[in-house]
Amino acid sequence: MEGLKVWRLSSSIARPSNLRQLFGLGTSSGLVRCLDNGAAAANATNTRLPSRNRRASTSTSTSTNTSDREAVRAIRLKKVEQLRSKGTEPYGYKWDRSHSAKELQEIYKDLNNGEELDSESHHVSIAGRIVARRAFGKLAFLTLRDDSGTIQLYCEKERLLNDQFEQLKTLVDIGDILGASGSIKRTEKGELSVKVVSFSILTKTLLPLPDKFHGLTDIDKRYRQRYVDMIANPEVADIFRKRAKIMREIRKTVESRGFVEVETPVLQGAAGGAEARPFVTYHNSLGRDLYLRIATELHLKRMLVGGFEKVYEIGRIFRNEGISTRHNPEFTTIEMYEAYSDYQSMMDMAEEIVTQCALEVNGKLTIDYQGTEIQLQRPWRRETMHNLVKEVTGVDFTELEDDLKVAKDVVLKAVGLGLDSKDKSSIEACPSLGHLLNEVFEIFVEPKLLQPTFVLDYPIEISPLAKPHRRHAGLTERFELFICGRELANAFSELTDPLDQRARLEEQVRQHNKKRAEAVSVTDGTGEQKNIDEDSMYEVTLDDDFLTALEYGMPPASGMGLGIDRLVMLLTDSASIRDVIAFPVLKISQ
Amino acid sequence: MSITEFIDKYRSLHVGEHVENTEISLAGRILNKRSSSSKLYFYDLHGNGAKIQVMADARHSNMDENEFCKYHSGVKRGDIVGICGFPGKSQRGELSIFPRSLVVLTPCLHMLPRHTVTSNSDEAQSEKKTRNHSWTPGITRNPETNILRDQETRYRQRYLDLMLNSEVQKIFGTRAKIISYSRDFLDNLGFIEVETPAMTMTAGGAAARPFITHHNELNMKLYMRISPELYLKKLVVGGLDRVYEIGKVFRNEGMDLTHLPEFTMFEFYMAYADYNDLMGIIEKLLSGMVKEMTGSHKIKYHGNGFDSEPVEIDFTPPFRRIDLIEEIESRANLSIPKDLSSETANKFLLEACEKFDVKCLAPHTTARLLDKLVGHFLEETCINPTFIINHPEIMSPLAKWHRSKPGLTERFELFVNKKELCNAYTELNDPQVQRQRFAEQLKDRQLGDDEAMVLDESFCSCLEYGLPPTAGLGMGIDRLAMLLTDSPNVKEVILFPAMKPQD
Repeated sequence: MEGLKVWRLSSSIARPSNLRQLFGLGTSSGLVRCLDNGAAAANATNTRLPSRNRRASTSTSTSTNTSDREAVRAIRLKKVEQLRSKGTEPYGYKWDRSHSAKELQEIYKDLNNGEELDSESHHVSIAGRIVARRAFGKLAFLTLRDDSGTIQLYCEKERLLNDQFEQLKTLVDIGDILGASGSIKRTEKGELSVKVVSFSILTKTLLPLPDKFHGLTDIDKRYRQRYVDMIANPEVADIFRKRAKIMREIRKTVESRGFVEVETPVLQGAAGGAEARPFVTYHNSLGRDLYLRIATELHLKRMLVGGFEKVYEIGRIFRNEGISTRHNPEFTTIEMYEAYSDYQSMMDMAEEIVTQCALEVNGKLTIDYQGTEIQLQRPWRRETMHNLVKEVTGVDFTELEDDLKVAKDVVLKAVGLGLDSKDKSSIEACPSLGHLLNEVFEIFVEPKLLQPTFVLDYPIEISPLAKPHRRHAGLTERFELFICGRELANAFSELTDPLDQRARLEEQVRQHNKKRAEAVSVTDGTGEQKNIDEDSMYEVTLDDDFLTALEYGMPPASGMGLGIDRLVMLLTDSASIRDVIAFPVLKISQ
Repeated sequence: MSITEFIDKYRSLHVGEHVENTEISLAGRILNKRSSSSKLYFYDLHGNGAKIQVMADARHSNMDENEFCKYHSGVKRGDIVGICGFPGKSQRGELSIFPRSLVVLTPCLHMLPRHTVTSNSDEAQSEKKTRNHSWTPGITRNPETNILRDQETRYRQRYLDLMLNSEVQKIFGTRAKIISYSRDFLDNLGFIEVETPAMTMTAGGAAARPFITHHNELNMKLYMRISPELYLKKLVVGGLDRVYEIGKVFRNEGMDLTHLPEFTMFEFYMAYADYNDLMGIIEKLLSGMVKEMTGSHKIKYHGNGFDSEPVEIDFTPPFRRIDLIEEIESRANLSIPKDLSSETANKFLLEACEKFDVKCLAPHTTARLLDKLVGHFLEETCINPTFIINHPEIMSPLAKWHRSKPGLTERFELFVNKKELCNAYTELNDPQVQRQRFAEQLKDRQLGDDEAMVLDESFCSCLEYGLPPTAGLGMGIDRLAMLLTDSPNVKEVILFPAMKPQD
């Protein structure tokens, strides 16, 4: 028979006495503990190495764990048969709940220790997963967790119907999903409980829940088997609840301003609206390649041409690029476009969205992100890229002549000492003054922008879809929003001149093809160079249909794209994008 | 302000009344231009689905007369303009804006298509028809009133369609409302919205051919999802008891009036509930939505194309429920063998199909034969919303076996106007049975049914951690939008539908 072990105690029951029982240090006054060998061994490991860094023990413990797992599974499969032979279906059909655990905790929060409420009106019914249990001779305590929280099941042999107490002891395991009904009681120790009259096994689990799922060695597994991570660590599920709240709040904010939600295609004949390598697929019946969208921009702008004045789309974007703590091949953005406004209006919108979400999720505007205190109180700093670069590096790009070489020398002289060779060569590779300014900004300024900052007026060379600045030649009416050194939003007064747009996109294609041709001509070189080569091996085509749409006339407009995953990271204090995406893309496991 | 706000605020002005001391600023696209003299121009200004007359009179303009004549002679139909002026009603009683200034914000470089008039109808009459025809959800549309009527152009250059055909914006507004109504409905029941991957290692959860793509850096083959089902159930295992997702699903199949390679799926999963509960929930969702959007439970729909009379569809709950096997048996006067996995049953159904001249292409698996019989005998009768319930296990690899009817599952499909709108079941949560079902699917696959479901081992092992009793439902948003916008073609409700490449 499988042991009665206490598995990952939730905070509400993690009292010292329980912990002692877990590690076999208890005084075991009347405590029934029948651990099977495997579980005993696992617990012994825990006792010796309570720390999370258990790397040393992986190889051996993995093999024992696997055989444990199989042994437990075999035992539980027998229990499934046993239940069926008794006419009990171990996989139930439904359960009517009268309350959630949290509701009960709230309704009965004033119930005194030791008090019981037995009348019909306090008869309740709940369901959830058993996450801990202790059994004595004629008494058992189970901790049940549902979507909302936990509550104790107080099971007394006399109180339960027929042989249900025996069933509870022999056939119910930690991890099983149970429905239970009974009256309300707060134990002498102060634990609110359902005093069970009857229960039903709703789902018999076959696999044991892991003891220490949070161990460093399991990071990969946490993402691969997110559901186990969520069972083991309820705070993980909370991130996804908060994510849903954030999505809802964003929608509420933009819809209250009259924006209409639309859906534009994922599969496209040409992937435009950003510079990124697209995913390619093949449509059998059309007999042609299709690209997965890398942005929603060009289609949403067509909506403005069509007469919609305020549109938004929240949707998945796909980029065929490497994975990191900040990048997943598919991610979610909101893009929004508003006719007859300019980028100033989008700054207000960005402030509004982020602060509303912060209040909804955290209830306050001062938040902590990975140890840094972030002040989201409005208004946020608005500063031009030129001034920020000057402030940090001392180089005033407005005073530089048009000579790119001279400019590079000035920059390298001013900041060259602190540069590593990679940054140095990327500065030297800049094809224009605008690129140079942006490169210096990315290297020196970006990481310093911890508090929310709108960086304004980007050079035209790196902003192919933004409108030329109404006062400053060579610049565009564009901003990016930075928080914690990361870009969160990108917005501009949209370029509406079809001829200018065509020229800029053609130039982009030309530049790309040039890079591609260079990459092809370099046949050998170092491994690193090869990587760079491959990065530009995809094809970029002109979206002629979009340019035609502009020729029919797009009203003056502003637009913004905001990364929702990054916003969720910020507001849930998550270090990696994988913590806020339920099923991130991972390398193929060995 | 917007044109709509302008109309709401000043609609009660008297004929001939001008409010000269107010300054209003409007913007929009000019879709009509008339001049009665070089000093008086009339424009129709359109924006966000509304229209207002612009009465540009040189006497009110900030420009001198010469300038005025010159500027306005250059303003073209299609241009986007900004106007500052005052509100008033013309002598004919038409609410108008009288510009002090008018500037072209974005010129239109092309001629906009005009209303083409068929030879046997009078222009004025057809103009009038266009103006009076104001479409709202639930009533029928008349494509003849469109200014831009060429379907290819309408779908390929949707911006022209939106610009010129007034009801198209309303169609997409209706679509947006369907989605927000569904979200609100579930949010109020304590569901949370989640996002599961669109690119996956195996394409499971449905029977369909997937799109394949490749991740370069990871050197990994990925499939575009054909259904979010398996991932959503994993989240229920993880402890999120009520989840839903509204998102794109991709199927690498041919295109027709009701199928496109990418479409929007609405799926929700509810722990501790069964398919009976879901029938109640979806009845409430759909009837409530139709009532709110149309004011009634009945809609008119050109289900058989615009050449035929529209049908009336009644969403008054409760919806009719018919038992799949029983209903076929009674309609066809058959007695189908109880053990549907047997050879006898297969032979019996093959003969039944032949007898009733029901075509079924090879491979003749029992599931495919039954599906054809359902199409022939049952779907045809489902104009008003109808639940076809209790599908056999062999047709439903992810549904739970029926608690009292051997060989059947607790599943329903909701049909409206003979088309499947929803598919739902009490979820199969016994991992051993799930593995067997996948194994049976494999058999069908080996018989040549390449739409049989593939085994997803990660899903089976997830079930071993325990999926609570759960019911789940999937609904096609595009199909629902078709019904509520009287669109017999799915391309009507998708902004930029996939099209065959142009030659």
